[in-house]
Amino acid sequence: MPGQTQDSARTDSVKPRESPLALGVRVILRKRSSRVALFVLGVIVLIGVLAPLIAPYDPSAQPDIVAAKDLPPSIAHPFGTDPYSRDVLSRVIYGARLSLMIGILATLVSLTFGVAYGATAGYAGGVIDAIMMRFLDALLSIPRLLLLLGVLVAWPHLSIGSLIVFLGLTGWFGLSRIVRGQVLALKHAEFVTAAEALGASRRRILVRHLLPNLVSPIVVAATLGIAHVIVLEAGLSYLGIGVPQPLASWGNIIYDGADQIARLWWMSLFPGLFMVTTVMTLNVLGESLRDVYERR
Amino acid sequence: MTPLLSIRDLRTYFHTEAGVARSVDGVSFDIGEGETVGIVGESGCGKSVTALSILRLIQPPGRIEPGSRIEFEGKDLVTLDDDAMRDIRGNRISMIFQEPMSALNPVFTVGDQVAEVMRVHGGVSRRQAWDRAVETLALTGIPSPEERAKQYPHQLSGGMRQRVLIAMALIMKPALIIADEPTTALDVTIQAQILDLLLNLQKEFGTSILMITHDLGVIAETTSRVIVMYAGEIVEEANVTELFAHPHHPYTEGLMRSMPHIGHDTERLNVIPGTVPAPTSWPRGCRFFERCRYSWDLPEHEHPPLYDVGSNHKSRCHLAKEPQRRNQPHEPLVIREGAGAA
Repeated sequence: MPGQTQDSARTDSVKPRESPLALGVRVILRKRSSRVALFVLGVIVLIGVLAPLIAPYDPSAQPDIVAAKDLPPSIAHPFGTDPYSRDVLSRVIYGARLSLMIGILATLVSLTFGVAYGATAGYAGGVIDAIMMRFLDALLSIPRLLLLLGVLVAWPHLSIGSLIVFLGLTGWFGLSRIVRGQVLALKHAEFVTAAEALGASRRRILVRHLLPNLVSPIVVAATLGIAHVIVLEAGLSYLGIGVPQPLASWGNIIYDGADQIARLWWMSLFPGLFMVTTVMTLNVLGESLRDVYERR
Repeated sequence: MTPLLSIRDLRTYFHTEAGVARSVDGVSFDIGEGETVGIVGESGCGKSVTALSILRLIQPPGRIEPGSRIEFEGKDLVTLDDDAMRDIRGNRISMIFQEPMSALNPVFTVGDQVAEVMRVHGGVSRRQAWDRAVETLALTGIPSPEERAKQYPHQLSGGMRQRVLIAMALIMKPALIIADEPTTALDVTIQAQILDLLLNLQKEFGTSILMITHDLGVIAETTSRVIVMYAGEIVEEANVTELFAHPHHPYTEGLMRSMPHIGHDTERLNVIPGTVPAPTSWPRGCRFFERCRYSWDLPEHEHPPLYDVGSNHKSRCHLAKEPQRRNQPHEPLVIREGAGAA
């Protein structure tokens, strides 16, 4: 046997295994700004998850619609109360839960569609790819907000579930372009030919060899996508066609105080702060993930 | 004895908008069991396309033209259905690629990738496949294979990665391994190790090897029979000693003259003037005509057949009929008509 060789010496210190995801997490933790962002986001997520335990009041209870309405911030109600006498702090806490949930679930819907559509088009190539991409161009030419407004005006009083699906269904166009481009670039990579030469089927190549290589751009797109959905949902709720009452989302808390925004300033300030913070941290994380993956 | 692989009149054409590129144009050869055959030629001569054709990995607009036959273990690979073909790839015939970096998937551990070949073909459990992968990695001389198997390609050196690719090609104990420039991307010292490894493993398993390279040194070290390709055709075929002792075709001669020799104090290396013509428009007669040192009228008009010029020695050159012309070398046409006129 040819046995132990010189070229082995160079890499003899066996390093621990590192997957792309682990690399992403490690680099994020190394950078100060993204470490702070991760921490702040973690706190907000925790607030959302633990909402029933930490909210001081029932978010939809209206204890005294005459005496306890429109109260400014105080010890008993740190974020004040709304025109229905509900505690704004409790609503913001529950709002964190709902807004984040909508953001994550809608983005999952987008990812599923975007990856499936983009990967199919890219891998199939040729006429199929051309047709699928022209169809996508058509969809991309309609502004997302307009599309959603159309849907929500046509079907008012949508359930949360359908709202999530619609938010997701209007959010996958850009991602599928990215995925398609990557698949197109990767499908002629030598390791794909090598896998073929060793007997792997087309389906196996797509699922085992191409998709895992797309994890990085997908993670980046997802992080930025969640932030986008949160803003969109707030916008729709602010227009009164998003999350239905009496559920609390950051957008519809602001909507409840919108007609007297100068007087009831606490009703837009606090949920607004939470929203801006969340979106900012997500963007910081998304950007630093992008830096990690694009540098490689 | 029937050979392991028997290729007859293989023609692989690419139907592009610029015309039909006849990249492989009527190639026939055999590989016996346990034999190492080399294909040598410069870039664009059709050697890699020949290799990919055997595994039927030609992508559109390329296709293997009807009438071509690739017989392997009693089956015609040209007409085999896709499932059966997939069953042969990696299992009975496997391939080692040129670039050990890009031929490995960057997001999986190398052990996973070696084991995957086993999983695709073997019907074995994940655990068994992994164990076999580690065994095979050990066989290719990778130290501490258990730990190495858990690493990603970027954590290994070029020579290590090439060993991993060899392990992938070897794990199913195929009858034939096609090695497409297996050492081109490696340091010279590592090259020798990898070639030794291949030859040792071949002795151990009795595998046949088709060695594709542009490096005559690799050919001389590893193969028993050599096929010289030029412009989509076989221009010379002989046993390795015979070929190096008595090259017949002027192209082969040119390849050998362009090798540096230890002890010869030449300032510049010899080159073969001109380049391979475009595969969409091969010259009608001899395809080497314009670059040849002995060319005369006949080669321009008459396409030379493979002449027998010795025992098991064939050459596609009209010199076989008029050997005295070898004594009158002259400037090739490309030089006489100005560089780049081809």
